[in-house]
Amino acid sequence: MIKNYIKIAWRSLKTNRLFSAVNILGLALGLATTLLLFLFILHERSFDSMYAKKDRIYRVLLHTTEEGIETWAQVPSALSPQLTEHIPSAQQSGRLLKNDYGGNAFIKAGDNILTESKLFWIDPSILDMFDVNILSGMGAKALTKPNTILLSKSTAKRYFGSENPLGKTLTVDNRNTFEVKGIFEDFSEHSSLQFNAVVPIMMRQEAKHPSWGNASFETFVMLNSDTGNLNDIDQKLQNIIDSNVEKEQQWYTFSLQPLEQIHLQSSAYTDSYLENYGDISQIKNLTILGILILIIACINYMNLITARSQKKAKDVGVNKTLGASRTQLILRFYVETGLITAIAMILGGLFTILILPSFNNIVNRNLEASSLFSLQIFVFLGFIWLVTTLISGSYPALYLSRFSPKDALKPTSNKGIMASFIRKGLVVVQFSASVVLIVSVLVVRQQLEFVQNKNLGFNPEQVIAISTTAVPDVATNHALVNAFKKLPNVSLISRAQGYPTVSVSLNSIYKPNSDVGMSVNTNLAEHNIVDILQLKLLAGQRLPSHKQDGDSLVEVLINKTALDFLGYTPEEAIGKKVEANLGNNSYIYGVVDDFNFASLHKPVGAYAFHNTVTKGNYNYLLVRFKNQNLATTVSEFERTFKSIATTSAFQYAFVDKNVEHLYQKEQQMAKVSLLFSILAIIVACLGLFALAAYMAEQRQKEIGVRKVFGASVPKIVQLLSIDFMKLVLISFAISFPLALYIMNQWLQDFAYRVTISWKVFLITGCLVLLITFITVSYQAIKAAIANPINSLRTE
Amino acid sequence: MKNKLLSLNIASKTVNLGSHKIALLDKIDLQVHEGEFISLMGPSGSGKSTLLNCIGMLDRFTDGGYTFLGEPVHSMKEKNRSRLYKEYIGFVFQAYHLIDELTVYENIETPLLYKNIKSSERKAMVADMLDRFNIVGKKDLFPMQLSGGQQQLVGIARALIGKPKLILADEPTGNLNSKQSDEIMELFAQLNEEGVTIIQATHSESNAAYGSRIINLLDGKIV
Repeated sequence: MIKNYIKIAWRSLKTNRLFSAVNILGLALGLATTLLLFLFILHERSFDSMYAKKDRIYRVLLHTTEEGIETWAQVPSALSPQLTEHIPSAQQSGRLLKNDYGGNAFIKAGDNILTESKLFWIDPSILDMFDVNILSGMGAKALTKPNTILLSKSTAKRYFGSENPLGKTLTVDNRNTFEVKGIFEDFSEHSSLQFNAVVPIMMRQEAKHPSWGNASFETFVMLNSDTGNLNDIDQKLQNIIDSNVEKEQQWYTFSLQPLEQIHLQSSAYTDSYLENYGDISQIKNLTILGILILIIACINYMNLITARSQKKAKDVGVNKTLGASRTQLILRFYVETGLITAIAMILGGLFTILILPSFNNIVNRNLEASSLFSLQIFVFLGFIWLVTTLISGSYPALYLSRFSPKDALKPTSNKGIMASFIRKGLVVVQFSASVVLIVSVLVVRQQLEFVQNKNLGFNPEQVIAISTTAVPDVATNHALVNAFKKLPNVSLISRAQGYPTVSVSLNSIYKPNSDVGMSVNTNLAEHNIVDILQLKLLAGQRLPSHKQDGDSLVEVLINKTALDFLGYTPEEAIGKKVEANLGNNSYIYGVVDDFNFASLHKPVGAYAFHNTVTKGNYNYLLVRFKNQNLATTVSEFERTFKSIATTSAFQYAFVDKNVEHLYQKEQQMAKVSLLFSILAIIVACLGLFALAAYMAEQRQKEIGVRKVFGASVPKIVQLLSIDFMKLVLISFAISFPLALYIMNQWLQDFAYRVTISWKVFLITGCLVLLITFITVSYQAIKAAIANPINSLRTE
Repeated sequence: MKNKLLSLNIASKTVNLGSHKIALLDKIDLQVHEGEFISLMGPSGSGKSTLLNCIGMLDRFTDGGYTFLGEPVHSMKEKNRSRLYKEYIGFVFQAYHLIDELTVYENIETPLLYKNIKSSERKAMVADMLDRFNIVGKKDLFPMQLSGGQQQLVGIARALIGKPKLILADEPTGNLNSKQSDEIMELFAQLNEEGVTIIQATHSESNAAYGSRIINLLDGKIV
C-alpha cells in the first residue's frame, strides 16, 4: 500500500514539475538555513566542554564602580593568591598575562625570527586546572623556575622544525632567554584558552610585587566540588577587597563567571586575552530567524497544496468511492509530504555544503562540511524531517481527507475558504519580515558608510605603524628613525606609545586646585605626531622637536574635550600647569581639536600627547608615506627595518585598516542581514507564487466570463494583481514602524549615527512591490491569456 | 421474480436554501431486483444524479426508508454504510474520474488495494479484467494517453473489479461520441446479462433503450 502511495506521490511530482520545483526549493532553503544554524549553535555550545573540571572553573570579573559601570575580564595581580587563602572552597587559582599586555611577542629561535601572537605569562596552576596534556618534557612544575618555556606541539615545529625542541633556548622580545622544558598538546579549536607558548609569570615585576591597582591579569579559580560553594561568594570577594584596599581606593568589585559561559556571554566585557568569543544574542537572533524561515517554508508548502486543492479534492472523492478510508487517505498525504520533505532535505543538505564557506566567512568560524555526517546531525535531521512532514502535511492530510466523496467530486465547490484568511495573513507576515530585513540591510549600510566617511578629526590614510617593542636598545631605535627619515617615500615620522584605534595609558586629569578628575588617554609621542595624524591645532604649538634626556619638564598637548573639562579657552590654557599623573612639572603646550581616537560607538574622551622621557619607551614608529602602492611601501619598509633591527621581526599595521576593523561586528551584521533578507525574500516569493496560482485557479471561471464579455488581458492582470498589492501594502503598515523601532535601537550603539530617512522606506517599498508584481504577474498573465472556453466548459 | 436488491420507501431529500425548503427528491418509491437494468431519465435538475448518489450511499435521504439487501441503510452509521457500498456497489462517472498518476493497470487495481486483497490474487483479477475488456496492450498507459471511450472502458473495468452486485453510472456516455457511446452501452447490456444490476442516469432515449426498465423523473418525483 505504502509503495503505491509513494508511486502516486512520485508521479505527481514529475507531472507538476514547476510546482514540485518551487515546493522543494522553498523547503530546501528553509531546511538548509536550519541545518546551518544548528551546526553553528552546536559548534558554539561545544566551547570549553572538553575540560574535565569545567563545572568547577570560574573566571574572575571586575566591575568598575565609577564613570559608567563596565565589566572587565581582568583583575589586579594581587587577587589570585588571596583567593585560595581566603575562600575555603577555592582549591586553585591562577593568572595569565598575554605578552606585552595583549600584544605580540618577538621570538628568536636559532636563526628563526618569528612573531608569536599567543605567548602567555602564567601561573603553573593554570595548566593543572585545564588538564593541559604534556607530550614530552616537564609540565606545570617547569614553570616554577624562571627562564623556562613550554611550547605547543605545532609551535615547537614552527620554531625548530623537525629538531627536538627540548633543551633548546630562545629569546623573547630580545630581552629574556628561555629554555624549552616541555611540549604540550595543541589546544582544541573549541577552547577559549589558546596558548602557543607559556612562560612563568613570576618573572614579571607585576607578579613579584603584586598590586591592587593595575587590573591586567585574567584570573581563573577552581572551586571544590561542593555544591553551594557559590553562596555568598560575592561577599567573600568583597571581604578580600576590604581587607586590602582602602575604601576611597576601591573603584571595583569582583564576581565569578562560570567557564561554560565564557565563550558566549563575554562579548560585552572589555579587556580579555581570550579569543573566539561568540555572542549569545547573535545566536538567539539567528535561531529565531532560522525557525521562522523554516516555519514559513512549511506553510508555503501548504499554500502550494491548497493551490492544487481542486485536484487533490477530486482525488479524495475518487478514492473514497473506490473504498479508501479516511485513515488511508491521511497516510497517503503524509507519505506524499514525507517524500517531498525527504527530497528537500537532501537538497537542503547540498545547499548547506554550498553556503557553508560564505556562512563561515560571515560568522567568522571554521565549520566543516564533514561535521554534517555525524550521528547528532542525523538525529537532528530525522527529527526535523518528522516535524516538517507533520506540519506541512497537516493541511491536506487532516483537512482535505475529511471531505465526503460527493462534495469532493463537485467541480465548483469552494474548498477551504476558511483557510484563505490564514493564507493571506501568512503572506503579510512573510512580507513584513522581508521588509524589516531589507530596511535593516539599508540602514546598516548607511551607518557603515557614515562611519567610514565621517571626518574623524584625523587622517588615518597613508599612515603605517611599525611595532618597535622588540627593538633591543636605544641606539638601534635611533638608527631606525634616522634610516626611515632618509627614505624618499617617507614624508613624516614620529615615535609614539600608541595611535588612534590602539589603547594607550589611562590616567586621570584633574581640574586646577581640585580633586575632581576625569579619565584621560595619555600618549607618549614626538613632535611630528600632530602632522602625521593631521590634527587641527587650536592653540599653542606642536610638541618641541627636541628634548634633552633628564629634563623633567613635560610638555602636554590636550584635546578639546580635556580642555572643556578644565574650563579654559584654548588660548588661556597654554602654559598652564596640568595634573595628569605625568609628573609634577607638566604644562599645557598646545590644544588640538577633538578626534575620534576610538570607535564611533563612543563619544570622544579626553586625550593628551606628552613627552615625558622614559628612555624611548615608544611602542611604535608612525610613518606618513607618499607612495600609493601599499605592497611596495611595505616591502621597502621591511627591508629597511630588517637591515637595522636585525634581531626583530617586522610587524606593522595600516592605521586606516585598523579604523575599519573597529566596525567588524557591524560589517558582520550587514552580511548576516543581507543573507537572511535574500533567503526570506525568496521564500516569501515562493509563497506568493503559490497563492497567486491558487487565486488564479479559484477565479478561472470568473476570468473566463469576464473575457467573454470583453475584458482585455491587461485589465485581468490588473484585477488579479491588485489583491496582492493590497496584502503587500498591509505588510508595509506593519513592518515600517517595526523596522524603524528595531533599527533605531540598533543605532543606539553608536555615539555618532545617521538618522533613518524616509528614502530607505521608499526604496524598500518600491523594491518589494516590484518583486511582488513580477511574481504575481506570471500567474496573472497566464490566467488572463488562457482561452475562456476551457475554463467555462462544464463536465 | 429474483431477489430484491434494494427498496426505497417514500424516500425524500430536501435542502434548505435560505429560508426555503427545496425538495430535490420527493417521496420516491422504488423496488430494484437483482439483474435489472434501469435507466433514470429526465431533464437537467430533475434529480437523477441526486438519486444515484443517495442509492450509492455517497449522500443520504433526509426522509423515508432505504433498504439494501435487507439492511436498513437509513438508520446506519457512516462507517457501516461505507462498508456496504465498498462491498456491493461500483461507480462509473461521466468524467471517468480515473487517477491521473496511475496507469490503466494500477487504476483497475486500486479498489482491491483498499480491500486488502493479497498481491497474487490482485494480479490474477486485474489480468482477467484486462483480458475481458481487451485492453491488455494498454495496461501501462496513463489515462491522458487514452481516448474518452477507452478511459470509460477502464472506468467500468475499475467499477467491476470488486465484483459488485450493483453498478451506478451517472451519464456514462455523456462525454463520448455516438460510436464510443454504443460500444459502452453494448458492454453494459452484456454485463447485465451476466447478472450485474445496473442503474444508469441518461438523457439519451437510445441509451435508455438498452435497459430493461425506464424511470422518468421530473422535479424530484417519479412521473
